[in-house]
Amino acid sequence: MSEEFLGQLAGLLNGAVWTLALCSSAGIAGTAFGFVLGLGQTSSRAILRWPAVVYVTVVRGVPVLLLIFFVYFGVPLLFGVNLDPFLTGFLSLALVGAAYTGEIFRGAIEAVPRGQTEAAHALGLGYADRLFRVIMPQALRIAVPAGTGFLINLVKDSSLIGIIGFVELTRAAKILSNLTLDPLGAFLMAAAIYFVISFVISRTGNAIERRLTPKLGKRARIQESSLTPTGH
Amino acid sequence: MNLYFGDILPFMGEMLTALGMSFGITVASFLIGGVFSVAVYAAKASPVRALSAVASGYIGLFRNTPLLVQIYLIYFGLPVFGINLDVLQASLIALSLNNAAYCAEIIRGGFSSVSKGLVEAGEALGLDAWTIFTRVSLIPALRAVYPSLVNQFVHLFLTSSIASIIGLPELMHAILEINSQTYRSIEVLAIGALLYFASGFLISFVARVAERFLFRWAVSV
Amino acid sequence: MITIEKLHKSFGDLDVLTGIDLHVAPHEAVCVIGPSGSGKSTLLRCVNGLESITSGTISVDGIDIGASRNNLAQVRREVGMVFQQFNLFPHMTALENVTLAPTRVRKLSKADAVARAERLLARVGLADKRNAYPAQLSGGQQQRVAIARALAMEPRVMLFDEPTSALDPEIVGEVLDTMRGLANDGMTMMVVTHEMGFAREVSDRVVFMDKGQIVEVSTPADLFSAPKQARTQDFLNKVL
Repeated sequence: MSEEFLGQLAGLLNGAVWTLALCSSAGIAGTAFGFVLGLGQTSSRAILRWPAVVYVTVVRGVPVLLLIFFVYFGVPLLFGVNLDPFLTGFLSLALVGAAYTGEIFRGAIEAVPRGQTEAAHALGLGYADRLFRVIMPQALRIAVPAGTGFLINLVKDSSLIGIIGFVELTRAAKILSNLTLDPLGAFLMAAAIYFVISFVISRTGNAIERRLTPKLGKRARIQESSLTPTGH
Repeated sequence: MNLYFGDILPFMGEMLTALGMSFGITVASFLIGGVFSVAVYAAKASPVRALSAVASGYIGLFRNTPLLVQIYLIYFGLPVFGINLDVLQASLIALSLNNAAYCAEIIRGGFSSVSKGLVEAGEALGLDAWTIFTRVSLIPALRAVYPSLVNQFVHLFLTSSIASIIGLPELMHAILEINSQTYRSIEVLAIGALLYFASGFLISFVARVAERFLFRWAVSV
Repeated sequence: MITIEKLHKSFGDLDVLTGIDLHVAPHEAVCVIGPSGSGKSTLLRCVNGLESITSGTISVDGIDIGASRNNLAQVRREVGMVFQQFNLFPHMTALENVTLAPTRVRKLSKADAVARAERLLARVGLADKRNAYPAQLSGGQQQRVAIARALAMEPRVMLFDEPTSALDPEIVGEVLDTMRGLANDGMTMMVVTHEMGFAREVSDRVVFMDKGQIVEVSTPADLFSAPKQARTQDFLNKVL
């Protein structure tokens, strides 16, 4: 019985490993593309700004499932190449992820006070120095919470890749439920694994955020906590 | 390759009907989930720790697992308990429960954003807690969460496409059906994308116009 | 009218008030001055129970506010408060802000409450702004509506918590004029303020606080021209 359970769990964990592989590769590629989109969206030049804004707006305004099918059916028709299911999943999640991270980068860059850019200009810093030395270090800290949310959404969206035939966690649970005829058990286990993945991501995000936030003194913390309402 | 939309035209009526289903199930689950979310928020804010823990667990589970798994659990998992739901019922329940978890968090954010000063002003005037809640905090809190609720509605509209996987005859489902009949994948997906995008855009636009009438008081002249 | 005895207040392990004794007589206007962080706003907020008391007693018109929830509710009906940030209800017009508490708490009829509100808005010079929302009013106008809102409960005591600190310098005068009028009419007032000119001219007594304690209480003439304590002298040298 418990050996049987372990065997089932192993099947799901194998799916979970592929979920993680899919999400980490698509997350990295999507974030890189999203960074370019974020710079594009905040560019002062219309020719750079417009394509980025249109891409981000359109992709965020359409269901993820539809975009997955677009890549699944569209890439072979448009480019004449047949992608295997992993690559299809990777490409569609990366393209979707780029739109979301592009928006996060835009928000974070715009949240850095305008005076920072002006001060960097006044010091005669070049574009790369302004971006990587002045703006990005501040923007990244602002972007961490949204980035955590993005990764959790990416993991959840990756469950849809099973539909086009790639065996990730949700698909593995579906297969298992057909074998054991116990859909409740299979999907509850899958849900638990997703929950653990999200939990680890959000804890890691919080830790990074704390590390990047300047520490307050004890007195300041007490005064801050006294500002939050308490019941009478 | 050349695009040809002519094959799709006969199916436009089918697509619009399916769009109606998408919109309908979104409205229904937004309302059902919205009402339920108030109870979830109240439970979470409750001083009874068991109640608060259950609400937190509910919100955490539904926000941190894929909607598809939730749909599978309800559609395939509940029959284990002898609860057999049809596709529409299962979709409606899954989307409502999912929406409730998100809305509960939005509502919580709204009430915590109402300035402490407003509540204090109410207390200083001798108003009781219920009057402060209904007359002082509620409307500014709704004002604060209105944009988030609109976003959540559009988000729910887009994610309702996932119900196509268990066979709900909504827009995504129609798109895949028409695709398998015409083999005009790019064209049918493009039209489907346009319908989703335009609907979402229209919903946001109408909501923004309505906002000006609903919250006239917030506009300084 | 207000009696404060051995009042202590702490937030966590931070002591904000350490032993305050103060008596405010009926029709007296008392200004509380002192450096920021001295605890003067906290003291004021304790008087109508917006801050809970750690130890000691406060009574208003003989009612001990710490004794029961009922007492606290009773005191809040008799004590009006004006805040630094105005705290007008943003979704209500000036008139609705002023009529809400009288109808809900004093159970006044709608017509009586409106009549009273119109009279009070006229008194603070804003009769023509009755249908304006707070977002459509200047800071000085908002603060005057807030004063009218507090007065509509016909309080026996008015508390002012730095009422002009959030205002532009050129409109501080209109709010101070309204407060001066109240003091001249014999309202019992406690005012936490940075406006030394107002404290000197309007108050019957001035309280100087520092580090959670009352350092000196005196008539304005004595306190401003002949302070007895070195700390008072120090503070006045910095601000005057």
